[in-house]
Amino acid sequence: MKNYILQILFLTISLTGFSQTKTIESDLMDLKMNVGDTFTPSSYVMSSDGSTTSCDNMIYYNKQGVFSTAKSIQVDNESGKIIANQPGLHEVVAVCITEGGKRFSRTFVVDVQFPAVKEIKISLDSDKVYEGTYIPISYEVIDEMGFVRENVNFSIKSSNSNLVVDDVNNIKAVKSGNVTLNATYEGITGTLNLDVLKNPVEYIELSSNADQARTGDVIQLKAEAYNKKGQVLSNIPFEFSFKGKSFDKSNTASGLIMNDGRFVADVSGNYLVTASLGNVSVSKALNIYERNVKRDVVKVGTGLVNDKHTSDFWVFEGVDGRDYAVTGTWGADGTSYFWDVTDPSNILKIDSVQVDARTVNDVKVSEDGKIAIISREGASNRKNGIIIIDVTNPRDVKIISEYTKNLTGGVHNLFIYQDHVYALSAGQKYYILNIEDPVNPIEVGMFELGKEGQAIHDVWIEDGIAYSSNWRDGVYMVDVGNGIAGGSPSNPVAFGNYNYASGAHHATYPFKSKSTGKFYTVLGDEIFPNGIDVNAPNETAGFLHFVDFTDVDNPVEIARYELPGHGSHNYWIEDDILYVAMYSGGVRVVDISGDLMGDLYKQGREIGYILPGDKDGYIPFATMSWGAQLYKGHVFYSDWNSGIGAAKVMPVKPDNSKVNQYLN
Amino acid sequence: MRLLLFFTAFLISNSAFSQNYYLYVAAESDDMVSLLRFDGSELIEEERFEVGVMPTEIEGPHGITVDPNGKYWYLSLAHGSPYGTLTKYSTETNKPISSTKLGLFPATMQISEATGLLYCVNFNLHGEMKPSTVSVVDPEIMVEIKQITTGAMPHGSRISSDGLYQYSVAMMSGELFEIDAISLKVKRKLNLEKMNMMSSGNHQMNGNHSMKMSHSMVQPTWVIPHPSKKIAYVAGNGSNEIIEVNLDDWVISKRINVGKGPYNVEISPNGKYLVATLKGEGSTGIWDLEDLTKNKVLKNTTMVSHGIAISSDSKYAFISVEGIGGEPGKVDVIDLKNMYLKSSVDVGKQAGGIAFWKISD
Repeated sequence: MKNYILQILFLTISLTGFSQTKTIESDLMDLKMNVGDTFTPSSYVMSSDGSTTSCDNMIYYNKQGVFSTAKSIQVDNESGKIIANQPGLHEVVAVCITEGGKRFSRTFVVDVQFPAVKEIKISLDSDKVYEGTYIPISYEVIDEMGFVRENVNFSIKSSNSNLVVDDVNNIKAVKSGNVTLNATYEGITGTLNLDVLKNPVEYIELSSNADQARTGDVIQLKAEAYNKKGQVLSNIPFEFSFKGKSFDKSNTASGLIMNDGRFVADVSGNYLVTASLGNVSVSKALNIYERNVKRDVVKVGTGLVNDKHTSDFWVFEGVDGRDYAVTGTWGADGTSYFWDVTDPSNILKIDSVQVDARTVNDVKVSEDGKIAIISREGASNRKNGIIIIDVTNPRDVKIISEYTKNLTGGVHNLFIYQDHVYALSAGQKYYILNIEDPVNPIEVGMFELGKEGQAIHDVWIEDGIAYSSNWRDGVYMVDVGNGIAGGSPSNPVAFGNYNYASGAHHATYPFKSKSTGKFYTVLGDEIFPNGIDVNAPNETAGFLHFVDFTDVDNPVEIARYELPGHGSHNYWIEDDILYVAMYSGGVRVVDISGDLMGDLYKQGREIGYILPGDKDGYIPFATMSWGAQLYKGHVFYSDWNSGIGAAKVMPVKPDNSKVNQYLN
Repeated sequence: MRLLLFFTAFLISNSAFSQNYYLYVAAESDDMVSLLRFDGSELIEEERFEVGVMPTEIEGPHGITVDPNGKYWYLSLAHGSPYGTLTKYSTETNKPISSTKLGLFPATMQISEATGLLYCVNFNLHGEMKPSTVSVVDPEIMVEIKQITTGAMPHGSRISSDGLYQYSVAMMSGELFEIDAISLKVKRKLNLEKMNMMSSGNHQMNGNHSMKMSHSMVQPTWVIPHPSKKIAYVAGNGSNEIIEVNLDDWVISKRINVGKGPYNVEISPNGKYLVATLKGEGSTGIWDLEDLTKNKVLKNTTMVSHGIAISSDSKYAFISVEGIGGEPGKVDVIDLKNMYLKSSVDVGKQAGGIAFWKISD
């Protein structure tokens, strides 16, 4: 027994010895540096018994990785030498590699200290400040090295009681007279001298271009202020607000009002819009009724493809005057199908071509209906590129040529316009090919952003302008023959750009509103929040961004179409109606007439929809709509799981409900 | 006692027969990875799982490797916007754990047993003919810690058996690179072209790696260092040869003419067999490294032979075969000792990256 206990004791001691923990100790611990400093660390290994050894193979690195975002500090992997480029807290990892591949690591936080604050700039975002109003102020904190400090928590004080500053630094002018505003941070104070004016407004008159409207209609309010003498006051910074009560007692009135007096309601009900300056205000009642644009959308016919996924499609008039379509396939065997869609209720598969590819993601047809182009991804020889097809007889299509130069990385999307093909290359740029001789396409141009990490998803041409969808870099408008910027296919010239925060910009459709004359680009997201399952329905997200590009140099995002729970894909706009494939949300038809502002879905602008999911589909009953195209009065669409189809938006039914009896 | 001996012998023999070989294979045109099991006679697809994040984009899983302790497997997704991704998966659940961005078209990779770091070539297959990089990743926290510039279209990342050196070849600049796995610097590079073989121009690299590029005629696509000798073998995809490189002297010691388009090349862990896929003819070659005259070329079950994974007991080679168009990819099992095709199984389209995981009961 005694021996047994001794053995246990011995074993315990030995195990303790073997399990002795080792840590990296380094003068990186609690290291503080200034911008521009360099520091070479000295590190060693300490065992839990306090003994120390050097580490022959130490590797250091910046925990942010090697991308451009990580250049705030540079770390030499071998020596650990750090160059501090930007202030902030940074993490440096030290990894000690010992014999036999055993390794241990430790992360050290390096504090690159902010340079001392040099200047605080305060500016007033308004011409005048009136008693009783909140003051719009902007701040900029600049340090001695010229860095602009973000998220600074100022101490803001007023020199007298003319201003009141609340706990979260909102500033209200409460009395007229001169006052100095002091914003202090790290001992540096910025000042702004203000003259709070007595509120000159005796009363306000508020008018609007309509007293009643439909949800989604943008109402323009006009406020005019008058003094005691009844004189009109100019340049008054009115504050507009609204409240409302929905007709539907279980719903909440909602809408959007802008500082320029535009108001739009999402929900029908009674609204009260208010214009105010300080304690003088005036309200006006508005009655908002249902938009009432709902129409039946009915499925007319289907060309079922259920042994493979369907990708993009194009409907066109053939040289014989009949109507045809071409569809691509995804993750399959490189097949494209040709269809006779002259009778949308009887869509007939009439021919197909199979090329060396797994995915034919995009298909397009020339304006004269003679040439089809299809994209290739997953070619067995990895050359991919595009295929040009003679479709003068869609019942017997013939491959004319294959073009792969500079397109080996796969062509995800393409476009055909005036004898030129615009083909994406490896998701980074697009090439422009002259196909006047389709047997011998000639590369004549190329467009890329020229940025590190440039990426592109789609290109669409209209009126000599190429609209490329560049993920996080947004839309680029490129003159390829329009003349607006002197461009041509061989000399594409970018002249407009807009991007937005999500970075998911996937498709663009240019849209000139018939009802307003305004010019928009409609920018679509593509987002799969939960990744993928190709054999089951997927969750999709993202929406369409409406960007007013009437002033090309100053684009303004003004509205969105977001279908809750479903993300956007490809779409078509004609006669102020949007036809959009919303993946799992099916094909949606949306009224986008009139001025646009706010959330178009909430405004009841949706006319109708269909869900193309088919019981015999690739995934039964699963809708995954890919694209939509209005053609000769029918809404054609492709669906990932069911092929091609056609739908019809039915005429407006007589409205006998009297709901809109107060409207003209 | 005799009964006990008999029972023990029965157990041993039974366990030998019930050994299973597990491996992973990626299907580049399906965004799928399959877990395969080979029981000594039949290869079975145990499970198939989707990879990537965008259902309507082919993200192209290309390279796959299992870490030395078998707990995790790593997958490179070639296509991104535009950079590719490396994702770490648990072998227990086959669920992703974390990801990091790499360079353009990340492809082959391996983890060094000496450093624990992962070295992945950024193939940049469809980019301009300019030097690309090898990404070094700390797989513990999935951070890319360095990109080391090598040649044009680097491919075939393999680590020396001591874990101290990483080898890759540059397909379009026709070079072999040796990287010090600890200093993370290129230690040596070797021109693999035959004399006067370059297609045009000079082939020079200065200190900052700017390069006047000409296309390699050898077009090397893979390199494998011998497990116990200071030799490496390179697949000359363009020149239809296996190139033997003496790592001590850093010279080409032998050029072995093989079939059309050798693509991947591996050596069995016991150092006895050299296996090369012959992509251009849809076959796999096997050579006895002690006597190269003992060799055999076996036709694969479909076209476009791609990757090789050899079992840790050196008995079997598992070959991924891409197939064409809508065909399924295949994995073929070759009995190395007897040099014959033993079994095959369908997997996803364009089967490519393949990695041996474990032998288990």
